[in-house]
Amino acid sequence: MMNSFADRFSTTGPIAELRKAQANVEDDQFSDAAWGSEAGFGSLAKGVPAFTVPNVPDPSAFLRLHTDDHADPNCRIKIQHGTTTLAFRFQGGVIVAVDSRATAGSYVASGTVKKVIEINPYLLGTMAGGAADCQFWETYLGMHCRLHELRQRERISVSAASKYLSNLVYSYKGMGLSMGTMICGWDKTGPAVFYVDSDGTRLKGDLFSVGSGSTFAYGVLDQGYRWDLTDEEAQELGRRSIYAAGHRDAFSGNTCNLYHVKEDGWRFIGNYDISQMHYEGPTGTGTGYGYDLRVEGRTSANPPPAAAAA
Amino acid sequence: MPDMVSLSRAASGQPSQFKTPYSENGGTILAVAGSRFCVVAGDTRRTDGYSQTRYAPKVFRLTDKAVLAVNGFSADGNMFVNKVRQQLEWYRHGHARDMPLHEIARLMQTMLYARRFFPYYVSNILSGIEEDGSGAVYTFDSVGSYERDTCRVAGAAQSFMQPYLDNQDDWYTRPSVHYKNQRSTHSSSRPTQLPLSSVLSLVMDSFVNASERHVEVGDGLEIYVVLAKGSSLQGLEKLTGAQEVTATSDGERVFTVRRSLRRD
Amino acid sequence: MDHFPTNWGRPRNDAFDAYGTYPLAQRPYNGPKDTFEAGVQRTQQPIVTGTSVLALKYKDGIMMAADNLASYGSLARFKDIQRLHPVGNNTVIGAGGDMSDFQYIQSLLDSLMIEEFTAQDGHSLGPAELHEYLAQVMYGRRSKINPLWNSLIVGGFKDGKRFLSYVDLLGTTYSASTLATGYGAYIAQPLLRKAVEGYEDVLTEEQAEKIMTECLKVLFYRDARSLNKYQIATITTKGVNLSESRSLDTTWSFAEGIRGYGAQTQ
Repeated sequence: MMNSFADRFSTTGPIAELRKAQANVEDDQFSDAAWGSEAGFGSLAKGVPAFTVPNVPDPSAFLRLHTDDHADPNCRIKIQHGTTTLAFRFQGGVIVAVDSRATAGSYVASGTVKKVIEINPYLLGTMAGGAADCQFWETYLGMHCRLHELRQRERISVSAASKYLSNLVYSYKGMGLSMGTMICGWDKTGPAVFYVDSDGTRLKGDLFSVGSGSTFAYGVLDQGYRWDLTDEEAQELGRRSIYAAGHRDAFSGNTCNLYHVKEDGWRFIGNYDISQMHYEGPTGTGTGYGYDLRVEGRTSANPPPAAAAA
Repeated sequence: MPDMVSLSRAASGQPSQFKTPYSENGGTILAVAGSRFCVVAGDTRRTDGYSQTRYAPKVFRLTDKAVLAVNGFSADGNMFVNKVRQQLEWYRHGHARDMPLHEIARLMQTMLYARRFFPYYVSNILSGIEEDGSGAVYTFDSVGSYERDTCRVAGAAQSFMQPYLDNQDDWYTRPSVHYKNQRSTHSSSRPTQLPLSSVLSLVMDSFVNASERHVEVGDGLEIYVVLAKGSSLQGLEKLTGAQEVTATSDGERVFTVRRSLRRD
Repeated sequence: MDHFPTNWGRPRNDAFDAYGTYPLAQRPYNGPKDTFEAGVQRTQQPIVTGTSVLALKYKDGIMMAADNLASYGSLARFKDIQRLHPVGNNTVIGAGGDMSDFQYIQSLLDSLMIEEFTAQDGHSLGPAELHEYLAQVMYGRRSKINPLWNSLIVGGFKDGKRFLSYVDLLGTTYSASTLATGYGAYIAQPLLRKAVEGYEDVLTEEQAEKIMTECLKVLFYRDARSLNKYQIATITTKGVNLSESRSLDTTWSFAEGIRGYGAQTQ
């Protein structure tokens, strides 16, 4: 006791030197947030991650000033964004379909992003908004779902998992997080889809689409959706909706990833090239979704059947 | 859209001269994964407004199987590399081996994300040899979202070089014209890669091109080549200026190659 | 949620009515607030400032030069300020920017050297170590959004090796065979490069000094915050040698003959 008291006020000795060093050099704060990576010894002992926040009166104004924005393209830090995602419930389970484009400003940063995050064999999360926010927090959610399993001896319900996430991001409200996600899975209650976003909204529902291409996806989705779709019909509806968004929304595109959640967990159905779907259809053998429909009979190179006969 | 900073007290309060803790130091980095090797390159020019310096490396060997390239604000970049290295050293003390590449990638995500609200202004490209012996490239945005990739450019000349590399004809087995590097995540199309010699000349060419067209690229080119365990030198021994910088003797091997670029 | 992707990842704008609930109540600011915000003083702008520092590598070691002026805005306030500061026997730190921050750095380094000395372990901090330390301090302070408003050049000679490097208020570092801060980076650096690059191992002290004085002269004529009184430091095998204050042989008499700009239009 005496020693620690003396240490606190002494100006010599190792503790004083450490204190002096810390006063000058940058605080090493990341270790709290770097859960599971303290020298590689996974540890959750520290609980909720802590973040370095800029030492200014209004940290979120600082972040707003420095991260990218269509109104101010000079902002330096470009954060990658994800764009069209959808999920719906039907008699055969849950369909999850997403595109694979990531943009940083107007640059297509990647065309091969995995926007479906496989939280565990029964839970999927989708990614729209800040790519890092979604990846990080849904991974974190996965860890806590596993802890729930270990503690409670049963799988976490989709409802509980989504509520965990929504409470988590709500605690950071206003700081600049951005995620619009659907937590999808199968639990005791059957197929379930929850929409969770960084504003703290959490909604239970049958059908959601999130992202800048969501309006385009909704158009197709609402038109074709029924509870009693067959598995094949449902998968095709998901695919086509993402195709529609990829086709009309500049921030969406490249490929579509399709998942189907059933009682025994999720299954990856396939990856479909969106421009290939436009010309040739998803399998590459049938007719395309877009091109032929629009051009057939419109040019002399491709005359309408009647004209050809005459 | 309404004025995004209208409510910000920082903007409406007293004028402060210290506008930003960031700066942009130019330069470009690039990494390409081969089947049993990877190549990571960066130019060595560092600019600060109109001033510049000719040799400031931004590609760093982390272990014998991992190389990290950082681009953006150099002070943040150097600090980040130091912190990653420190973590890797602790890992080595705890586990008596080097951290595998995919673990370094996840570590970097958590480290970058810890600065979500005060980001490191850095584009990171991590590259090296995976535990299965394959070459790998991981790309990160400034707050830690990451993805495994085969070929990635970041930095000032990104928009010159990425399309150039996307368009290499024999990059992928599929000989189509406009799909090239933009294919699927899940299908089995892990591309068959070019041999090391072709990748090296492609890398050198793209930097020569970038230094012709971009004022922030030039002076020197520093290339790191990582070879998987047991693979042959594939012509590296004949390459002028190739230098081995491997630390251990029984695993992957790391080489550096230096070239000069335009200095004007 | 705001579905427009370029708004993502940024703090939401409370003035924007995303859900169309107009009229939008103007909410009071409920974020973190520091009552004593106005009472916290940080160097947000430099007050008493020094201008360029020049440095080059030559045959025997490193040569650095800086004038003796500390300005208060456009006022040439202090004309006997020393901006080259020897640290130990192998290093000189030269500073441009805020002079009070520089004085703080001097005291920081001096106490660091004393601490190292008291260890009596046979080691002393050389230029490379001091530069690394300074880079960490400068970066650490910028990360606290409380920068030390300086551009620093660290020059030194230790164990037969020349060392020359730069660090500034953001923690950015450079190394090259010639360095210059402030206006010197624009005006003197090209001259220095032309005279020094490629000749680092042949330039004598006399030649190096001639290059320096030429550059200082040009700076004196072009940089309105400079002075024709300066000091030169050399760091060689013999250790640090800091010259007395000297005067440049400069004249403004030719100005009389210049026509065509300024007040004299005829």
